This record gives sequence, structure tokens and C-alpha cells, in this order.
Amino acid sequence: MRSSLVLTLAAALVLAAGCADAGSDATPAARPPGSAAPSGVVRTLAIGVRGRTVTPAPAQVTLEPGQTLRLVVTSDHDDEVHAHGFDVERPLVAGRPTTLDLRDAPPGRYEVETHEPALSLLVVLVP
Amino acid sequence: MTLTASPGAVVVAHGVGSRQDLPLPFALAVAGAATALVVSFVALAVLWREPRLDGAHAGRVLPPFAQSVLGSRTTRLVLAVLGALATAYVLLSLVLGVDDADNPVPFVVYVLLWVGLVPLSVLLGPVWRRLNPIRSAHRAVLALARLDPREGVLALPAGLGYWPAAAGLLAFTWLELVAPDNATLPVLRLAVALYVGLQLVAGLLFGARWFDRGDAFEVWSGLFGRLSVLGRRADGRWVVRSPLAGLDALEPAPGLTATVAVMLGTTAYDGASSSPRWFTLVQSSAHPVLLRTLGLLAVVALVGGLFADGTALAGRLGGVDPADLPGQFAHSLVPVALGYVVAHYWSLFVLEGQNAVLHLSDPLGTGADLLGVAGRAPDTTLLRPGLVAGVQVVAIVGGHVLGVVLAHDRAVRLFAGRRAVLGQLPLLGLMVAYTCGGLALLFSG
Repeated sequence: MRSSLVLTLAAALVLAAGCADAGSDATPAARPPGSAAPSGVVRTLAIGVRGRTVTPAPAQVTLEPGQTLRLVVTSDHDDEVHAHGFDVERPLVAGRPTTLDLRDAPPGRYEVETHEPALSLLVVLVP
Repeated sequence: MTLTASPGAVVVAHGVGSRQDLPLPFALAVAGAATALVVSFVALAVLWREPRLDGAHAGRVLPPFAQSVLGSRTTRLVLAVLGALATAYVLLSLVLGVDDADNPVPFVVYVLLWVGLVPLSVLLGPVWRRLNPIRSAHRAVLALARLDPREGVLALPAGLGYWPAAAGLLAFTWLELVAPDNATLPVLRLAVALYVGLQLVAGLLFGARWFDRGDAFEVWSGLFGRLSVLGRRADGRWVVRSPLAGLDALEPAPGLTATVAVMLGTTAYDGASSSPRWFTLVQSSAHPVLLRTLGLLAVVALVGGLFADGTALAGRLGGVDPADLPGQFAHSLVPVALGYVVAHYWSLFVLEGQNAVLHLSDPLGTGADLLGVAGRAPDTTLLRPGLVAGVQVVAIVGGHVLGVVLAHDRAVRLFAGRRAVLGQLPLLGLMVAYTCGGLALLFSG
């Protein structure tokens, strides 16, 4: 009983530490580009990838109907970027900005990710 | 679940489950939590004060004709052949198929088998026992050698119980949620080979009884199958009974609590791991796989630890030896786990289950259309956000309510008189914590 209590507490601490740690560098991250933006508007978000680090830190971005999310992705290595749900995939050349326009997906949450290494750049929420 | 493409693979346009559900609307989450609280309170204060469930003897016995059909060798043989044929079909894709996003194997393993077994078992009972191709292969091999499949070389250790299944379920969910490149054929081939090899060796060592509690999928199907209206009693007779009676008849055994904690904890981890905070931390670290593994273990330990502590405390307050209590209440977590599974996998199963059928029509990537479904797209009627959110809340709250009722009945039987109410308080707190935790995971997305 006592040892299991210790285990439970340890597990809770590990999780809490993980969340707190992640939270500290996620807060100043990309604000959802205008959740209240009028439709037909193009929102641009620049994303940089250095090694395994994504700047700004991955966040959730809401894409209103009719809105376009323009991602400008610059990586320090050759890779490819893939937006699930929007079926958009582009090669990335080291140091060269690559533009992806995201619009019109069925409702859901979709990850935009690179493949080498596998990194999530952001989560797009389509209400 | 996000199954990403392997580095260097050809263009992979879809993984299994590249779409996730929208977060639950706040009002719905609050309504769900409030309902759970009220129902729990009513269950505690007003509902039955005497034990009413008698799982071992409950149920309406089916007529002799149905008894003989359900128990017949022909029925068993037909089911075993169905399982073997389906397995052979999928093995074709596993061994000879093309390693791209259209290969059906990941869809079959992670969607049809893992998730699909749940509704199938809830409807029909522990069906994987009859379909399990490894059990059939074991039986066939021993029959050819003129040996009794029930006999092994060694006696099955009594203390083993469900522990192998707990380990197997944890290993499978690790493959599903953590392992890199888990939707690619080399990884799936290795996993299937390891699993089949281990099961066959253990079957030969311990006899066919091994599969009852040693095969993760049989236990996964068997525990959810307890909720089926169709059941087989300890006296061997087929009955129609309430899902509560089926679960009440589940005997405590070593490793049962751990198994249920794994079932609950892994879906909770899957929900938590899709939050940007978690994956930002993980993917930028030097050891992402290690960190994900630790996260998975931590959530399982947290869920199981809370349960062990809560039930032990209930035992103290109720005046019963706390050591036995986690096992006595483990059955009440099965409907809670079912609620999590439904809430978590509903849209995945609807969408990717259809994709599985589409991909199965062309098992070798040759452009074949064996099932006549070419050119069709998945139907998304059941994926409307409002409907999905409703299903999720009903599943979580409904699972919790069934769990409370089961735990309540067991508590009234175990705890004497006035201590019964006191002893149930920790259990109630536990259930409310699980419900709110589940809803919070879905709400925060």
C-alpha cells in the first residue's frame, strides 16, 4: 500500500513536471492567427526548424471556414513537410523558405509535420 | 494515434488516424461531469442497499436447441476457419504487399483488430477465443501429432494469472502509440513474428489454457465480452444475462487489476499525447522514444496506482482486508475502459475502418479490386462534430455509471452495515476523478 502510494505520487510528479516544462516554452508560441478574422483572409505563419527544434513552439491554430492559413516553413536541413487532412506535401530545401496554403478540410484536428526527423510543427483545428 | 511515414519512404499521403477529433465543447464536458456526479450520488444514497448482482448464477438459460448450436463442434470449427482465412488474407499483404500508405496491414492491426474487437465482443461475447488463429494453429499442430492440446509440458503457474496479458497489452499499445515507423511493413512483420512465436511457444509449454489469460487479444476481447448479453455461465450453460451480471461473474485473479489499469491508462495517454505541449517537449528532446515510453508507463502507473490506493482505502474504511480489494473491484473498471475506448476511437474506427476495407480490396498493391469497392470514398455521416461529441460524452459518462453500479453492489456485499457507505466514498471519488480526467482529455484536445 505504502509503496504503491509512492509510485502513484512519483507518476503524478513525472507527468506534472512534463506538462510544466512543456508549458513554459509553449506559452509565447504562435498565437492562433486571428480566431476572429473575417473569412477570405489569408493568415501567414512563419515556422523555423533547426535540428529537432521548432520555432515558434508548436501550438494549436484555428482555421475558420473560408480562411486560408499560409505557412512559410524554413528548415536547416532537407526534408519534406506534410499537412494531414489538407493533403498538402512539399519538399523542403535547407535554408530556403517553402510556402504551403491550407484551406478547406473536413472538421477535425490535423497535424502539420516534417518527416526527417518526424516533428509536428503545429496542430490546425478546423471547426 | 499518429502513425507517421518512415523516413525515406515513398510519398505517404495518409497515416492511420491522421485526423483527430475536435475538442469537446466546454458546456458539454461540464454537463457530462455534472451528470456523472449526480448519478453517482443517487447510486450511493438511494439505489439498492442489498447486493443484487449474482453474476455466477444470473441469466435466463437458453433453450436446448440454442445450447447445442452455440456449443457445437461445427460452430467452433466454422469460427476457427473464418479466423484462419481472414488471417491468411492479411498475411499475404504483410509478407508480399507493398510497403506504402495503401497497404492494408496497419489498418487491419490498429483499427479492425484492436478497435474492432471491442464492439464485436460487446455484442457477441469473447469471440477472439474462437477466432484466434494462433489457438487454432496450436490445436491443429498437436492434433496432427496425436497429442492433447490441453496438455502442456509444464503446469501453468497459479500466480501468473493475467500478468502475461497485462504485459502483452502494454507491449501492443507501446507499438501503437510510441514505436517509430509502426505503420511500416518491416516493423509490423517483426511485431507479428515475435507475437506469434511467443504465443506458440507458451502454448506448447503450458497447453491451450495459456491462451485464456496469456493472449492479450483474447483477454481484451474476453473482458469487454463480459458486457455481452449472450454469455456462458460457470456451470457451462449459455444464458442471456445483463451486462452487469456478466462482469460481476468475473473472478479476481493475479494481474487482473494491472490489466484493467493498462486498458484504461493507455487510452488516457493517447489522449494526452496529442496536446501540443506534450509533443513539443518530446520531439525536441534527445530521446523522444524513451520519453514517450516513460509517459505511457507513468499514465498507466497513475491510473493503476490511484485505483490500488482508492480501493485499499475503501477496504480500511469498510473494515475489510485492503490487500484483496483491488481485485474485487477490478471488474468495475471494464465499463469505464469501454467508455474511454468508444470516446477515443469512435471516429478513428468509423473513418479508418472504412479505409481498411478499401485497402483490403487491393491486398498486394497491384490495382486489384477483389471486394468491388474501388473508387469509393469513406462515408462521413457518423463523423459530424456534434454527433462525435455526443457519443464521446455519453460513452464516458455511461461507462462511469455502469462502473459505479458494479462497485456499489460489490461494496454492499463486502462491507458490513453502516460502514458500507463510508467504504464507498473513496471508490466514488475514484470514479469521478476518472470521468473528469477522461472528459478533460477530450475537452482540451
